[in-house]
Amino acid sequence: MTIGLAHYLAVAAILFTIGVFGIFVNRKNVIVILMSIEMILLSVNINFVAFSAYLHNIQGQIIALFVLTVAAAEAAVGLAILVTFFRNRGDIAVDDASMMKG
Amino acid sequence: MPLTAIAFYLLAIVTVVSGFMVITARNPVHSVLYLILCFFSGAGLFVLLGAEFLAMLLVVVYVGAVAVLFLFVVMMLDVDFARLREGYAQYLPLGLVVAAVLLGEMVTVSSAVANRGAAAANATPQAADLHVSNTQSIGQVLYTDYIYFFQAAGIVLLIAMIGAIVLTLRHKPSVRRQKIHEQVGRRRRDAVEVTKVGVGEGISE
Amino acid sequence: MMTDLSSALMICLPELILAVGAMLVLMLGAFGGERSTGAATMFSGAALIAGAFAAALGPHGTLFAGAFHMDQLAAYSKVAIYVASAFAVVMGYGWMNRSNERKFEYPVLILLATLGMSMMVSAGDLISLYISIELQSLALYILAAFQRDDARASEAGLKYFVLGALSSGILLYGISLVYGFAGSMGFTQIAHAIAAGGANHGVVFGLVFLICGVAFKASAAPFHMWTPDVYEGAPTPVVAFVAAAPKLAAMVLFVRTLSMGFFGAHEQWAQVLLVIAVISFVVGAFGGLMQRDVKRLLAYSSIANIGYALLGIAAGTQLGVQAMLVFMVLYMIDVTGFFACLLALARNGRPITQISDLSGLKGSKPGIALAITALSLSVLGMPPFSGFWAKFYVFKSAFDAGLWQIAIAGLVASVVAAFYYLRMIKIMWFDASPAPVDGSPSEARWIAFACALFSFPVVLIALHFLDQSAGLAAASLGLH
Repeated sequence: MTIGLAHYLAVAAILFTIGVFGIFVNRKNVIVILMSIEMILLSVNINFVAFSAYLHNIQGQIIALFVLTVAAAEAAVGLAILVTFFRNRGDIAVDDASMMKG
Repeated sequence: MPLTAIAFYLLAIVTVVSGFMVITARNPVHSVLYLILCFFSGAGLFVLLGAEFLAMLLVVVYVGAVAVLFLFVVMMLDVDFARLREGYAQYLPLGLVVAAVLLGEMVTVSSAVANRGAAAANATPQAADLHVSNTQSIGQVLYTDYIYFFQAAGIVLLIAMIGAIVLTLRHKPSVRRQKIHEQVGRRRRDAVEVTKVGVGEGISE
Repeated sequence: MMTDLSSALMICLPELILAVGAMLVLMLGAFGGERSTGAATMFSGAALIAGAFAAALGPHGTLFAGAFHMDQLAAYSKVAIYVASAFAVVMGYGWMNRSNERKFEYPVLILLATLGMSMMVSAGDLISLYISIELQSLALYILAAFQRDDARASEAGLKYFVLGALSSGILLYGISLVYGFAGSMGFTQIAHAIAAGGANHGVVFGLVFLICGVAFKASAAPFHMWTPDVYEGAPTPVVAFVAAAPKLAAMVLFVRTLSMGFFGAHEQWAQVLLVIAVISFVVGAFGGLMQRDVKRLLAYSSIANIGYALLGIAAGTQLGVQAMLVFMVLYMIDVTGFFACLLALARNGRPITQISDLSGLKGSKPGIALAITALSLSVLGMPPFSGFWAKFYVFKSAFDAGLWQIAIAGLVASVVAAFYYLRMIKIMWFDASPAPVDGSPSEARWIAFACALFSFPVVLIALHFLDQSAGLAAASLGLH
């Protein structure tokens, strides 16, 4: 059985779903949410690299490179905001942060 | 190519299983470690596709920087993680249904793209330019055709740096800091004074 | 089209001014510390105004193999965005002075976010679309959490970040599918691929993901969850910024992407946009009814207004785009004025946020009360205020495009929404004041008055000019 483009895309789709599912069930645990987002970005990168390889076109790898860069920046900003949140509240649970509702 | 198939299935299964463990592990430190595993095997998939440079970057950037940053924050914040799992079971059934539907749709659509998109004509993965290595072919276009994005990505990183500093750096007045310019600028006459001490007198200020 | 370096640099001069300006302000702040915040603010304002002139007068063209378009549409939106950002810089400086926390990073982040928006309105392929959105969003997440000792601000920042990062992931997945389908990221190549292969499932699915991602940035329902929380929790000048310029940038990005890249799939995306538009104005109208906080109320109002603007895009005609552009600029002016009014109001040193706190404002602050009244009437669409003309254009273009059922639903929603503005006006003019209101800072007061005067009567003179330039801008897309 040969491995084709669809196989890679299926792996990416599964990983994307796991990421979305992780955000959905771990609503309170922001750290796991951030990790889920990183997984979503990994799945997107698998998509890009797979398309790039099967299209014989380097563009997909270039955007994957930028996605990696931006994801690293995003992780840094997200964790910084998380740390300020923790300093203010002594906890990282977002869902019961009911100072605001509606 | 059975060897490629074996490698693919091995890496794909490890990626998916470790990805699943990231969101289900009880201990967030374990989650981070599973995330690292997930990225490692993802990098393996990149190698299978011929994107060696990106595979290496994934390992360097993610395992070396992002995952360590996560580990650092998980250990720095003193959080009761057991309490954060409340409601987990409550969202689980609905989450599973949503995830199953989403997964079905996405796999269908991606196979449609694979079979009918621009890539359908090519049966095998192949580099864009066969005469140079993967790294070289990225380098040839990254600073020429894609210079605009390269610069923009630099500004994104600058923003992240400003953000991390402005949000978390604190100058606490109670903390004594090293003042390098004062240390370097210190002269002997500021520190040591030679006085004549008479017999039996001692020194006073 | 290849251009030599010097003319290429002239074409992207506005972005260069902003990027270099931001770095200079950063150096100034890094060496000057807190004392240099005033100078940093002035310099940032000057850079924004210079950028606006460069965008208005500079040459047009396409750069970087189609990744960057400088045309009438980009010029129009850049001028509006830069001016709105300059107002945000000024309001933020006054606010920082009053809260005794002068940070030079505030103008730097505003400049960088503006740079991101400026790149958004010029984006000509999917990579520049993604990177510019991220550039803008990362700066906005930080700005939302900028008041780092305030629990609500950091909560707002965290929610904004988590939902924003998720939406970026969805957007990227859509981009990857479109890339796999078309084999390229450029809008023109995608348009060719759709013309050749038809809009199959893959490209439509990818496009829907892409639309969801951008709709999140524009805070259209059902992707609006972050909006009320961010509006309530983030510092008011930051909200004034978030509420105005990024919305226009996201809408222009929508228009350019959909009409340059995906016009072959117009039927499909028009349906998606119409669904989003209807949900937006229903959520905006009914969600606003229950609110007690003025900023949350404005959040729901913005969701509804994005719904109206989306009607113009969904029409898929040049007139629709023109109506959307006029609508967004008039809305930006109204909303900037609203937040300037809120900045100008405080009681015992605490900013007024509840609607009930506005009671009796006519006695203590008749000028501000008049400004809020004018702006409210404008946003609810009462003739002859500016909001009426904005809605008139959008609904007219929707009727012309045969979307009359949707347009009627929009009219009904705006009647429902009128209730909460009228309630606010009633509280201000007819209820008794509980306690005197503090003196208001001059810069917020002047901005509030200027915006209120624009909404009526200046708009009657400006509208002709605005309509003309929006028409030119819309024509640059080559629609019918």
